[in-house]
Amino acid sequence: MALTRNGRAAPAIVAVAAAALFLVPAAKVPAFYESFLYLMFYWIALATSWNILSGYAHYLSFGHGAFFGAGVYATATLTTKLGVPFLASIPLAAGVAALLALGIGAVVFRLNRLRGDLFALLTLAVAFVLATVILNTPIDGGPGVYLSAVPLPNLAGSPSATIYVLGLAIAVIAVAAAYAVAHSRLGLGLFAIHDDEDVAEAKGVPTFRYKMIAFAISAGIAGAVGAVHAMYVSYVTVGETFGITIPLYVVLMSVLGGMRHWLGPAVGAIIIGASLFAFTGGASATVGRAAVALGLIAVILLLPDGVVPTLLRRSGALFRRSAAPAAAPPATPPAAAAVPAAPRREPAAADAGPLLVCDGVHRSFGGIHALRGVQLEVKRGEILGLVGPNGSGKTTLINVVSGHYPRDAGSIALDGREIGHLKPHRVAQMGIARTYQIPRPFAHLSALDNVVLAATFGRESDKASVRAEARHWLDFAGLGARAHALPGALNLHERKFLELARALAAHPSLLMLDEVLAGLTPTEIENAVALIRRIRDAGTTILFVEHNMRAVLELCDRLVVLNYGAVIASGAPREVMRNPEVVSAYLGGTHA
Amino acid sequence: MLEAQRLHVGYGDAPALWDVSLAVAAGECVSVIGPNGAGKTTLVNAIARLLPIRQGRLRFDGSDVSAAGAQDMCNRGVALIPEGRRLFTRMTVEENLDLGSYRRAARGARETARERVYAMFPILAERRRQHAGTMSGGQQQMLAIGRALMSQPKMLLIDEPSLGLAPLVVEQVFATIKQIHASGVSILLIEQNVTKALDLVERAYVLEGGRIVAQGKPAELRAQPHIRAAYLGADA
Amino acid sequence: MPSFTLLGQALVSGVLIGGLYGLLGLGLTLSWGLLHLINIAYFGLAFLSAYLTYHLGEVYHLPPWYAAALLVPAFFAAGVALHWTLARFRVAGLVSLLVTFGLIVVVEAVIQIVWTADFRKLELPYLTASAKLGPVYLPYMELTAFLIAAALAVGTWAVLRYTYFGKAVRAAAEEPSMAAAYGINHRANALLIAGLCAASAAVAGIFIALTTTLAPSQMFAWFGVVFAVVIIGGLGNPLGALVAGVLIGVAESMTMALIAPAWAPVVAFSLLIALLIWQPRWL
Repeated sequence: MALTRNGRAAPAIVAVAAAALFLVPAAKVPAFYESFLYLMFYWIALATSWNILSGYAHYLSFGHGAFFGAGVYATATLTTKLGVPFLASIPLAAGVAALLALGIGAVVFRLNRLRGDLFALLTLAVAFVLATVILNTPIDGGPGVYLSAVPLPNLAGSPSATIYVLGLAIAVIAVAAAYAVAHSRLGLGLFAIHDDEDVAEAKGVPTFRYKMIAFAISAGIAGAVGAVHAMYVSYVTVGETFGITIPLYVVLMSVLGGMRHWLGPAVGAIIIGASLFAFTGGASATVGRAAVALGLIAVILLLPDGVVPTLLRRSGALFRRSAAPAAAPPATPPAAAAVPAAPRREPAAADAGPLLVCDGVHRSFGGIHALRGVQLEVKRGEILGLVGPNGSGKTTLINVVSGHYPRDAGSIALDGREIGHLKPHRVAQMGIARTYQIPRPFAHLSALDNVVLAATFGRESDKASVRAEARHWLDFAGLGARAHALPGALNLHERKFLELARALAAHPSLLMLDEVLAGLTPTEIENAVALIRRIRDAGTTILFVEHNMRAVLELCDRLVVLNYGAVIASGAPREVMRNPEVVSAYLGGTHA
Repeated sequence: MLEAQRLHVGYGDAPALWDVSLAVAAGECVSVIGPNGAGKTTLVNAIARLLPIRQGRLRFDGSDVSAAGAQDMCNRGVALIPEGRRLFTRMTVEENLDLGSYRRAARGARETARERVYAMFPILAERRRQHAGTMSGGQQQMLAIGRALMSQPKMLLIDEPSLGLAPLVVEQVFATIKQIHASGVSILLIEQNVTKALDLVERAYVLEGGRIVAQGKPAELRAQPHIRAAYLGADA
Repeated sequence: MPSFTLLGQALVSGVLIGGLYGLLGLGLTLSWGLLHLINIAYFGLAFLSAYLTYHLGEVYHLPPWYAAALLVPAFFAAGVALHWTLARFRVAGLVSLLVTFGLIVVVEAVIQIVWTADFRKLELPYLTASAKLGPVYLPYMELTAFLIAAALAVGTWAVLRYTYFGKAVRAAAEEPSMAAAYGINHRANALLIAGLCAASAAVAGIFIALTTTLAPSQMFAWFGVVFAVVIIGGLGNPLGALVAGVLIGVAESMTMALIAPAWAPVVAFSLLIALLIWQPRWL
């Protein structure tokens, strides 16, 4: 799904439809229609709000009902026990639900392993625990809460019309929020988190914060739906409010409609909601539930992408982005791209001090002491080679410097400032970028969007020019012609260069390349070496981890040799290679 | 013993190997060399039947195994020592070895096979109760080789045994491989370290960008300037 | 402050029901830890088994052990069929959670359609009999449940740890393709394990029918406990599930004795939250 192309057709249609729907009460249609439409708005709002976190970021929540229920009971309590006016209680209910979400998120979003799984199961449990709590405290206590005595302001001529209008308003807010998020920085970050959270974090996306925000928005809207619904039913009980219905239905509606699209859940809600209207109350409700569950299973197994994306692919008439991409990029032969127009930063002053200093860095994994007091400096504007046998700690060092692993001891300073304690996205924003040994592009984003993301969350990011920036770096890496291809369609060489473009788009002061030449043919290696030199000439300092000795000797100003987690030599490349300790420990005497 | 005819292998819609043909006669020690990413591991995984073969035929010991499964290959006497060792890290040395002899034909001889492995690698005997995941790279490589030997293989597929190992350890590993070859086991060795590979084997293939670009005896290959410059270093 | 006897009784009850919790969690923990499938359907199967036990007992007057002879093999087959289907569609990770979530809802709906939402209790004369240990009662049924649960947990753990088959299963859980390359038929083994998980769910269900009152609404209330048992006990660890179950059972019964019965369901959840906040290394 392209995020960077702006289609105007769909939002315009939705806006017109919403406006028309607001006028329905004035048409004095029978209450039945208002009821039916209200139910549609209810499900549209619930499914769309669920999707903002669960669909966009792939953190599946099975407890959406908890937030709905929190909203229901917040309003019930506020209006009946605390005398708060109904309309005022709606945003308060939304707030309560959002706080609940933030509480859950604070606990589970920080985990490193099993995040997604635990989140799903935890949210499933939350709903039932909340139900128990409400059942056993004065909030409900057992008999349920009557809202019939609560005054309902007359907004549209009759009570049912008022509820209708409120329901519609919240649905519109939900869809508008989904649209806004999908086209914002937040949405871009969420989509990246969906594909690869660790890489997103390393590219500067504040993953924890974004997940919390998305979760709060999602829960808040559900809470608002609950608030209005409390008034609609006017008698709330724990049993009715906290069932498995909502969690189940919102999942199916979003899965059916398409979880990556802002309109997907709404489409799914309309399809499912309309078909379910036949099953109301009594035994039919149970059968309906079973049918929905079976439908969910069938859809997951047979239509994994959902209806909307499938339709988008097949049709293309109404919803396809109408804006044509700006002038087709000229076919740039690889490595022939010009040096970028103006240098991004002044050349390093001779005595400006080292850019990166690692002092006594230690890192262990269980019993394995991967880094034992690593001591090295990277001077401004140089290409520093980092070599050593596999297992000597090179990738670990990159992971520690980038913040992916915390260091156990020692300090890491960038530009004189300690960064060892910072989260990866902060390190990225301070100007350190890295590539991955095995490329890890965001699988559902096009090549261009991958670079746009890095440009958006890197340093010196200027909103207006992000797309142009991204396009520039893509051309620089020779991938201009493949801008709209998905990473899966690129070969290894292209994916590696995409990694490079992505890293560069963040304007790093320090670029750490992790075995970027591995797997390339000699011609491709020549191109890559030339490209790396141009990157340095443009002002970026480079830490170059590599096995290919020829390239290392060609490119590097200085060389550091790592063995068993410690630096055993550093200095001018050819001297280092002649150091007997290096020769015996690493080269094994087989190189001349 | 092993014959691959015009193999085409790919991942999803991305092809990785084109028209690859090679052969290993019974008792031979052959290598496939080439840079990282050339497709060497893809090739060995396809031969071990961990990957589907799109086109082409694979024959082992007289039978067509193009559609066979990994288990089938194991039962026919092919043992894989994969890139990165891929040991069962949460289990002990002894358990890893025992699992090596899981196939029916090897179970009976398990005790004797184990003793032989311990004789070949005394360090494993010392650490038989240690968890595989806590051992050093070199020790893990020994264990991976030992695990393969436990299955009484007719043929060993060895993928990048020198990866991540200190040169001294690499010497030991290659000496072991030589020893195993001397006992009659056919060997297909995938290696990035060209010097060591060409020192060891009787014949080699050069894989680059998913295709075989050269083949022959070590001396012939060493003489080809293209390979020398690209892989052995400019001053070799 | 409740009397010593009351606390002692609470302790005993907690331990006994803890065994049942552990048994309920056995299927999920083995599936998640060894097969990498978050199969919450086993939980639903346990309740289906409970209702079937009830039905066979109330309507056909079949003693529970006859019911067991019927249900356990039938559920074993169901477990195999379920896993085979999931494997056929290459279901894994979060998708397995979605699909089994759907299944559990179907099971609950079926239960509600067939047996209605009314509370159901199996009435048999010996169900309320207990032994007496000093001032404390040891109900026979709960005791049997605990002993069988413990036996299954220890037995499963021992098989995984010491038998060749168990080691092959653990190896395949970590490195499926390498296991296959060494002749381990991990697909067949997975089917066997899935069958055993379903069979253990059947056993759990039988004891649920024998020791508690059944209602469809109760199903999801137990879910929080089972999930907590699996996480606290460690994925793939049958003994851990038992220990976690006992821990939660005791914490719940103490809460019931010292505070109020209504708060018991929150205990498991709170323990889990506390654990997630503390974030031990093995999580």
